[in-house]
Amino acid sequence: MDIDLSPADLQFRDDVREFLKTNAYKPGADYTVWREQWFAKAAAKGGWDVPKWPKAFGGPGWTPTQHYIWEQETATAMLPFDMPFGVGMLAPILMGYGSKEQQDRFLPDIRARKVNWCQGYSEPGAGSDLASLKTKAELSADGTYYTVNGTKIWTTAAHIADWIFCLTRTSDTGKRQEGITFLLFPMKQPGIEVKPIITLGGNHTVNMVHINDVKVPVENRIGEEGEGWTYAKGLLQHERTGLAGVSRSIVALEKLKEQAAGVKRGNGSLLDDPAFRGKIATLEVDLMALEFTELRSLAAASAGGALGPESSIMKLKGTEIQQRIAKLTVEAGGVYSAGWGHPVGPKFARGGMASYLASRAYTIYGGASEVQKDVIAKNVLGIKSGNK
Amino acid sequence: MNFDLTSEQQLLKDSVDRFVADNYSLEARVKVTDAEPGFSKDHWKSFAELGWLGLPFAEADGGFGGGPIETMLLMESFGRALVVEPYLASVVLGGGALRRGGSAALKAQILPGVIDGTKQLAFGYAEEQARFDLHDVVTSAKPDGDGFLLNGTKSVVQNAATADYVVASARTSGGQIDRNGISLFLIDVKAPGVERDNYPTVDGLRASEVKLTNVRVGKDRLIGELGKGFAILNAVANDAILALSAEAVGAMEVLYKDTVDYTQQRIQFGHPLSEFQVLQHRMVEMFMEYEQTKSLLYRATLEATQGAETAQRTIHALKHLVGRAGLFVGENAVQLHGGMGMTEELRIGHYFKRLLVIDAQFGNADHHLQQFAA
Repeated sequence: MDIDLSPADLQFRDDVREFLKTNAYKPGADYTVWREQWFAKAAAKGGWDVPKWPKAFGGPGWTPTQHYIWEQETATAMLPFDMPFGVGMLAPILMGYGSKEQQDRFLPDIRARKVNWCQGYSEPGAGSDLASLKTKAELSADGTYYTVNGTKIWTTAAHIADWIFCLTRTSDTGKRQEGITFLLFPMKQPGIEVKPIITLGGNHTVNMVHINDVKVPVENRIGEEGEGWTYAKGLLQHERTGLAGVSRSIVALEKLKEQAAGVKRGNGSLLDDPAFRGKIATLEVDLMALEFTELRSLAAASAGGALGPESSIMKLKGTEIQQRIAKLTVEAGGVYSAGWGHPVGPKFARGGMASYLASRAYTIYGGASEVQKDVIAKNVLGIKSGNK
Repeated sequence: MNFDLTSEQQLLKDSVDRFVADNYSLEARVKVTDAEPGFSKDHWKSFAELGWLGLPFAEADGGFGGGPIETMLLMESFGRALVVEPYLASVVLGGGALRRGGSAALKAQILPGVIDGTKQLAFGYAEEQARFDLHDVVTSAKPDGDGFLLNGTKSVVQNAATADYVVASARTSGGQIDRNGISLFLIDVKAPGVERDNYPTVDGLRASEVKLTNVRVGKDRLIGELGKGFAILNAVANDAILALSAEAVGAMEVLYKDTVDYTQQRIQFGHPLSEFQVLQHRMVEMFMEYEQTKSLLYRATLEATQGAETAQRTIHALKHLVGRAGLFVGENAVQLHGGMGMTEELRIGHYFKRLLVIDAQFGNADHHLQQFAA
């Protein structure tokens, strides 16, 4: 057991810091221009644009420690989020289960971020119970295409997506998980209607997608008909560890401390307020622990490929912490937290309430916390499900 | 020991409940908050006709002579319906300052308009450096002839955009955080030097930064005695906390009940969500927090009515619990509604946002816990 960074790790960290110093996004700069330059330069570094991709597909082949350093440093540099759908979610499925032809067709544009993807999973009747999805895909008589009909919901960025990867039902017989087929198709076609859903913080990020008689060639089916659930399920596990956001929370908490130190109270600041300080300290303790849970998780993943039991708590704990930080930011904003971000009061308070409201979704999406606990009880603790 | 309402109180409660049942819905509310002035002038007129705008004022001043219990009943019903009309700002806050400290002449001049609905008030107490401390006042009022010249900014003043007058705290003597030396003034929003920067709050209501630059206020517009305004300010803040807490209790009731309804309808994994024990227990916890908050609301309101020595401390306890319990109920209502809880389409999100704004006003949960424990 060893937690020191090796000389190689330290060098890597310096390289990353150097790279970020020159290339990180500077507030106020043209985002589109920066984004294009960023991915081009990262790619030139030998796969820094796709850190989680296997070496065979162009990834850098980092050790868990290097992945961790990357996560920490990009969080500190406050690098804008990369949309996860193409690079992080569809790509591993293409790599694991897609044909060579599909990989050649789709991966380059995914990697170059030239094509925007959205994830067609949840439906109005299939949220936590995703396997009960109903969007139908009927194979044509000549077996060359599927006709897809149904409705997807909570589809992030569907309004700007070029393509969708979609879980559809090709068979009703057998268990619900069987008979699910993984299809890819373009969003910008007549049979697809995207309706915005405005969420509590006033944002438009998610949508409802109505799919009407959309024809999808069988070449756009990943893997076998009826096997889609297996492909998607493995990925959902990865989604869960990725959503913990430990490094970003550490950075956010540091920022909050700075901001609180700027709120004058008597001879000191809000940071001297015992209640506030106590909540910050508790969060710091929880993050110190979660950071190491993540490291243990990464180490286990690299050693055996399978995620250890400790990794199951990452999303649960990570999202709870994110919400607590958002709430503490609202508390720090005082009376000004009642607003939407009008330029009054301390700068950090603006938009704090909107962020807090958005954070309420973290314990709902990507596997609601209650469901996660059921899964952990069953799969990790080995408790047979009994009384509901 | 008696928790029964008098027949008059029951009549009041029933008439408010009836009015909101007939006139309020999420759809109606959104229509009103999206338009100008952000509330329904028709409803305000109805409030006047029904006598509600005169509820806490003395009969001699044209009011109903109601006390904290009457306001509690009305505000709880308002909270259940998520009423947006500026009852709190005009009647409880601005009106409360006049009621407690206004001269006979000032009351005679201003209150009739407040009670008949033709004039509205707002109450400016918060300042940026003060956080939640009422006694931290930088806004100054310097003698000017036989009046005063006011300078400073009051923050997050609810209803200031629509109000005709703003009651504001300003310092006439003493150091920044001295309780002595604070005075209350009735300021005409049309007076030269009054600027209002208006903005929406997350609960669909509206607030303003009210900037005062050399605003001249006559001595007849002083509320209470010179330099002794803090007692009135604090009393009005206590009235506000009781009223806001009643509103919060009404909102919490809707939140937990809507959640019980929804989970019985929403089916996943072949069962209504309500069959999952974890969720059942969560809803029971929501219910418990609601009942506890309601109990503390009654306690604080009764102690205020009776002028009990412990009333102030109980009010601190109440505002703390409203923040803690209110957010627990709101957050869990959203959680148990799943994705739907995050939408604007369901009413629970709107109730949740109101509870969040209530916690951010007149001191949040932590602030009042410290006052309570001091």
